[in-house]
Amino acid sequence: MKTSRRHFLATSALGLSSCDRLVPLVNRELFDEGIPSKLPPPPAGAEIDPDFHLLSRAAFGPWPGDVWRVKKMGREAWLEEQLHPERIRDTACDLRAERFESLYFAAGDAYEWRKPVLRDEITRHTLLRAVYSRRQLFEVMVEFWTDHLNIDLEKGDCIHLKPSDDRDVIRRHALGSFHDLVRASALSPAMLVYLDGRSNKVRRDSDDKPNENYARELMELHTMGVHGGYTQQDVLEAARCLSGWTFDRSRFWALNQGESFFRPDWHDDGEKRVLGQIIPAGGGARDLDRLVDIVCGHPSTAKHIATKLCKRFISMEPPAGAVDSVAAEFTRTRGDIRCMLRVLFGTPEFAESRGRLLKRPFKFMVSALRALAADAHADKALLEPLQRMGHGLFQYPTPDGYPDEELPWMGTLMWRWNFAIALAAGKQNGVRINLHDLRRQLHFTPSGWFPHLVGRAPTEAEEKSLKPQDEAGLVGLILASPAFQRC
Amino acid sequence: MNRRTFISRLSLAATPALAATPREETHTLVHVFLRGGADTLNMFVPYADDRYHRLRPGLAIPAREAIRLNDHYALHPAMKPLEPLFKSGRLGVVQSVGVDNTSGSHFDCQDQMEHGDSMHGSPAGGGWLGRFLRQQGSTSALAAVAIGTALPESLRGAPAASVLERIGDIGFKNTQDADGIVKVLEGMYGGEPGLLGRRGIETLELFRRISAMPGDGGSPEHGAQYPRDSFGSGLREIARLIKAGLGLQVACIDLGGWDTHFFQGGTTGPQAERIQTLAEGLAALDTDLKDHRNRYTVMVATEFGRRIYENASLGTDHGRGFALMALGDRVKGGRVLGSWPIQAEEDLNLNTPGPGGLHAETDYRAVFAEVLHACFGPSVAMAKVFPQARLPAVGLM
Repeated sequence: MKTSRRHFLATSALGLSSCDRLVPLVNRELFDEGIPSKLPPPPAGAEIDPDFHLLSRAAFGPWPGDVWRVKKMGREAWLEEQLHPERIRDTACDLRAERFESLYFAAGDAYEWRKPVLRDEITRHTLLRAVYSRRQLFEVMVEFWTDHLNIDLEKGDCIHLKPSDDRDVIRRHALGSFHDLVRASALSPAMLVYLDGRSNKVRRDSDDKPNENYARELMELHTMGVHGGYTQQDVLEAARCLSGWTFDRSRFWALNQGESFFRPDWHDDGEKRVLGQIIPAGGGARDLDRLVDIVCGHPSTAKHIATKLCKRFISMEPPAGAVDSVAAEFTRTRGDIRCMLRVLFGTPEFAESRGRLLKRPFKFMVSALRALAADAHADKALLEPLQRMGHGLFQYPTPDGYPDEELPWMGTLMWRWNFAIALAAGKQNGVRINLHDLRRQLHFTPSGWFPHLVGRAPTEAEEKSLKPQDEAGLVGLILASPAFQRC
Repeated sequence: MNRRTFISRLSLAATPALAATPREETHTLVHVFLRGGADTLNMFVPYADDRYHRLRPGLAIPAREAIRLNDHYALHPAMKPLEPLFKSGRLGVVQSVGVDNTSGSHFDCQDQMEHGDSMHGSPAGGGWLGRFLRQQGSTSALAAVAIGTALPESLRGAPAASVLERIGDIGFKNTQDADGIVKVLEGMYGGEPGLLGRRGIETLELFRRISAMPGDGGSPEHGAQYPRDSFGSGLREIARLIKAGLGLQVACIDLGGWDTHFFQGGTTGPQAERIQTLAEGLAALDTDLKDHRNRYTVMVATEFGRRIYENASLGTDHGRGFALMALGDRVKGGRVLGSWPIQAEEDLNLNTPGPGGLHAETDYRAVFAEVLHACFGPSVAMAKVFPQARLPAVGLM
């Protein structure tokens, strides 16, 4: 086997991947994390550039050079590439993000780790992937489903179980089939703990009442939506279908320790009727599959998921036309997430929505780091501002997930501004940037910073407000401006 | 319209920036957490009970040195600064409060308490104060502040919680030209329509008010003397935030060093020094805030109390119930509520659920809920803060 020089270097670099100082160097030289030379100046029209717009929504904002790459290959081709993340080489990101051991453990085995380590590793991994992965749409969808199927690390044992949920539920199905995603989530130890499914038991000849918590959220939040047309009786029947699925970390003798399992003696095996459909008696463990099919196939689910996608990617007040198109695609494809995204990003409503979405703090931070090609390892110093901005990852307490609304994020603008100014001044601990070199590589004058960061020319008023400033001051203020809070 | 409202409207109209952000005269809950499991038996001394003296031959506070409160209880001499507060009815105590966790683990018990959970029933997610702030929709930048460097578990899930050691942490660091930055941002956010523009301008106004607060000077009022350590300076910063009317609803501050297994000391010694810091700190806060007394309540808790009998190294080991105290105008103080349910001598060390000592007679959540309700009124959806908990009246507030 012939080992190419590049491959050899890559392998040796992997061995050294824990060496923070080496990774950026290796990445820049070998793995396209660097910045292409000879770029035209950033597009600076009066409106946000359409390619910049796509990169602001279907990605966490452009990395230097991305806009021109999209221009060269075309938006559709770029989107198609992103819809198949398995085809995108991501070595540079792997070098930074693959080092967190606790993320590779089976659910039951993760109890070996201390809580602070678990919290630290899953959070850093998520931030690093968002900043450095070239599979941007995939990471964006990971964030979306993480909110949709929210699990709070701080509840009960969830901190031990979320890493495997992140890996085996969210990441495995982020661009796959919605049915598979929901089924995997229903069986995820983390979800069984978070929404009490594990104690949902109906023993024969007992007066056990099923625990309805998960069944309700399955319908209300995960699939049909609160006014989706189910009744209290449907929730109860769904809980009966799910009874017996449980998780028990102390089953140390079992082969499948750390996995969820089905206890026939806890399952209500009688006939059920969910949303008008009969599930005959004696279904046992298969009742869960029948239930997932019924709720995922309900028309309300298509509408609910389409609405949430449009809220996240088009406007916090989602336009009805786009919602209908995406919902129709959901129905046509039985919940193929790729197909829905293809339709969504092709709607005229998407194209018209430029600059109208508020970036939530995570996206604000990630897009700033990306735009400045920052070198970071997502250590404590960088996670702290995120916490202050109210967006600590995996810490939303209730099952509805961090909101796609403006108001809840408005109390922490001060910390956004502080981060912006510190970052640009090179004083944000845990991050290295070099504005001057970056600008020289990109061949623009200081007046190019605004279009580089926002995707359009500044308005007259913005221009008037912003000058005169030194370079760090200028970049800091643009990152702190209302224009950069939106996308 | 009477003259007063007329004038106030006039002045608001004349200063549009201020009109947008009136002083937020909210009530503030100051939550002091004594980390390590404080031996509250030596703070609120059951001096009249023989068993106390018998079981603590080396550690009991002698009745003649304690500050007598009533026929049952006396204060540790180092609690002296709090005596007038108790006597004036502004300091109240509940004996035998606790979590139902019998593990005796600092971590487990703190975790349970900060999350507002119980061993029975499923945990609710997030911290109890985080849930409270979220259901209140408290999105002001300074609705919740934790003094220190890390967010306490109790505030997890809050829409906005700031961790700081000094108020100076707020504002524009890493720049020489904070005024210049404010001016530019004002220009840009002023031209931004909608919520983002409005809230941007409000935030700048908040910053301006903080900058206008007297710098490090800002000396405490009414001769208040805070302890010269991080606890004292933290309380002082909390007082400044309360005075400034910045919408502070919850302030969390820790005081550590209570895990006194070894040579705890009696009227003097390591624990006495901790008690002194606590008492001087709280008394200073109360003095400093003399003109704002209807606007804050202090609640002091710890993860568990300690056993009634001393151990072989002149210390005390982990117990269960502790004495919780609250300070403020809304406290029905001057009393020690709750009973004194020590385990019978013969089973002190045997077959009792969890470590011996005081029973956890009152569910801590009932007290927390009562304090929250007294601070913020009926708008608190208690079922969201402490789901599934039975919250009987305690009578502290």
